[in-house]
Amino acid sequence: MLTVLQISSYVAFAIFVLVVLWKFVKYATMPIHLRWELYPVPHEPEHEHGGSFFEHQNIWQLERKHDKLNELKEMFEEMLFIKRMFLNKRDLWIVSWPFHAGVYLILAWLALLFVRAVLVVAGIHGLVPIADVLIQIAGAVGVIAATLGCLGLLIKRVGSWELREYSAGVEIFNLLFVLVVLLTGLYAWIKFDPHFDIAKEYMLSLITLSKMPSLPEPIVVHLILLELLFIYIPFTKIAHYVGKYYTFHAVLWEDAINKPGSEVEKKVKRCLQFRTSWSAPHFAGRTWAEEAKNPKLDVIERWKP
Amino acid sequence: MTKEVGIKDIGKPSKQLIKLRLEDLMKLPPPYDKPGEEPEMTEPKEEWRERYITELDGYIAIDVPFEKPKTKEEEQRLIQRFLEGLKKLLDKENNWTFLQPLMLSLEFCAKCQTCNDACPIYLASGKKEIYRPTYRSEVLRRIWKRYLTPAGKVFGKFVSGDIELNWYTIARLAELAYRCTLCRRCTQVCPIGVDNGLIAHEIRKLFSQEMGVAPKALHELGTVQHLKVGSSTALTPEGFKDIIEFIEDDIKERTGKNIKIPVDEKGADILLIHNAGEYLSWPENPAAFAILFEEAGISWTLSSELVGYDAVNYGVWYDDVQLARIAMKHVEVARKLDVNRIVVGECGHAHKALCVVADRVLADEYNIPRESCMPILWDIVRKKKINFDPEKNNFPVTLHDPCNMVRLMGVVEPQRKILREICPQFREMEPHGVYNYCCGGGSGFAIMTSMNFPEWRNKVATRMKFKQILTAFRDCIDPSIKKYVCAPCSNCKGAIRDMLDHYQATMKCGIYYGGLVELMVNAMVDIEEPFIEMF
Repeated sequence: MLTVLQISSYVAFAIFVLVVLWKFVKYATMPIHLRWELYPVPHEPEHEHGGSFFEHQNIWQLERKHDKLNELKEMFEEMLFIKRMFLNKRDLWIVSWPFHAGVYLILAWLALLFVRAVLVVAGIHGLVPIADVLIQIAGAVGVIAATLGCLGLLIKRVGSWELREYSAGVEIFNLLFVLVVLLTGLYAWIKFDPHFDIAKEYMLSLITLSKMPSLPEPIVVHLILLELLFIYIPFTKIAHYVGKYYTFHAVLWEDAINKPGSEVEKKVKRCLQFRTSWSAPHFAGRTWAEEAKNPKLDVIERWKP
Repeated sequence: MTKEVGIKDIGKPSKQLIKLRLEDLMKLPPPYDKPGEEPEMTEPKEEWRERYITELDGYIAIDVPFEKPKTKEEEQRLIQRFLEGLKKLLDKENNWTFLQPLMLSLEFCAKCQTCNDACPIYLASGKKEIYRPTYRSEVLRRIWKRYLTPAGKVFGKFVSGDIELNWYTIARLAELAYRCTLCRRCTQVCPIGVDNGLIAHEIRKLFSQEMGVAPKALHELGTVQHLKVGSSTALTPEGFKDIIEFIEDDIKERTGKNIKIPVDEKGADILLIHNAGEYLSWPENPAAFAILFEEAGISWTLSSELVGYDAVNYGVWYDDVQLARIAMKHVEVARKLDVNRIVVGECGHAHKALCVVADRVLADEYNIPRESCMPILWDIVRKKKINFDPEKNNFPVTLHDPCNMVRLMGVVEPQRKILREICPQFREMEPHGVYNYCCGGGSGFAIMTSMNFPEWRNKVATRMKFKQILTAFRDCIDPSIKKYVCAPCSNCKGAIRDMLDHYQATMKCGIYYGGLVELMVNAMVDIEEPFIEMF
């Protein structure tokens, strides 16, 4: 019989995954937008100077080449090192990067716990010691870096006028919530589980659907808070990784040409059939295609009180 | 640290939110580093305060009356109308054109302020809070969260931040949308890719598309006049034909060449469309294009049809339907002429509007290739289709990168390859290329000349570009050395013209300006007299 804590772990993880997926789907299913790329676009072969295919003639006849490797390089530099902040806001990067790197390591730690549990279940015991070492490194470095980074971010957020003034209460709360989860985790690790043995056992119990023996109270508290955080994250801006994917891949680096007969053209044609309801006098409540082809220009009047 | 203006102050009932002072602005290099070298700033006239929005910084971009409501009911109607517009910005059918980028930028900004120092207006103003690139975005974001999201309705300012929606907020936000040139330098440095320039663009759309409020130069005298009369300059097809005749005569007089400019020639390879401002303010630019294209044996034509002789598309700055309407007309003209492609002359925003942004409002028979003139010009130089003598351009030259053509379209190298070939004293500004600074005339500012707006443009928006130009020429700043700022964009030229005039930089520093093709013709071996008129 599983404990309530174990069941809630499954539920929290499922909610996290489903809501994040829903967010991805929400953005993925939005209509095609007008082109709005921003150079340098890293998959352009002439990305070194920020060039595009528009630097050539007869662009429709050109065979377009994409430097996918450079796009990946740019993507990973930004994901792993927050390159733009490093170059343009170093004083914040000093705390933001350890936090993000720490979170990545904690996620790696969770993945390693899962892999280790699978290895144990599968009877591949030879690889378990390697997993143990990696778990120890990722967990220890991750929780320390993330905690210090989060504390630094909170101090910056509250202490700097330009950050505090632009923050709503919830943005301070988010950092506080994450910090509390990290601090309870740090305490649980140092005091009760320095080699992550309980964590390994707990993950194994989740994989094997077997009951976990009772845990020390501070660990239970930490797990409950962690589960609540998992549920909370996708509903908040902490899940900005979803946005980051789309801002770069669907907007800033999205430069597909609308050639006759292309997929882009098909999507555009569908959007041109959307009906407008804008109230300004130069609109007539028609579809975009009709509005564009037959402009209504004879009335010029504007809002009056 | 406390600042004099916070986010919620946008709704504060007061005569003017901030006041700019000359001593607060970013310092300029010599010879403008001494007091008295630039004109003082002025106060808005009292009569303007009654009809227009002077409550932001005292400057007026929106030169159509935006009167204060006299009763609470009137104010409520305004608020409702504004919120209706905001809902439509977030609606698939009404704003499919930018829904995804807008939602991303509203939802995911981390408020890390990494973007701040990328903004030339924020820096040039001496870091005035209202010009911080995140300021107007945060105002709109708070209104959206507070009034249109379930979380905001339930939890109030805990999730939205403090904001009050009243006449002051709406009026100031309308003006504030015209304190950003949409250069998108801020977006380039954002770790999340949030686009504050886009948010300014969307606020402009809300006011135009829902409330019919936009600067006259953009709407009534801009896109509407363009579609009705044929050009935002009010140039008619008949007037255009007269100017072409004048240009042909002028070419003959200045170069001795008999050039017949092709107009409405069916079946040409290229339909070349210039910003019509060139014909009226800088006719030497279309003249230079005609000389180069004819001498290089290019198959091309101009159009004299309504809209077909003016490449501008002011819709790209404030109104999507106006953008689509003008783009459709451009393409319709090309179709009738049965050309293979449309090529845009030296006009940055026309490049971006027709080649990039409007790419996705065209379909079926309206979908024909649209390209930049820059690769064609480079081809002429690279393949030596014309003989050039660089010694004829042996004076200091620097290049301004129009944001729309460079950062927003990726046309970076052809123009500088040309300059490296034909201008021995070519030097870059810093930063340049895709990291350039806007001329300050972007997003319509160059043509918005009502009341005191040009003062704001010259003092704040163009200040960074002026600094860059002075720095690029610091080794030869003496006025006896004639220098040339090459700006291959009509609106940039307009902004630079006004900037040089405001700071009397031609007289004090010997700085001139012009396009790229003028430099090319100036270097042609078989033209004896200088084509550029700074000599």
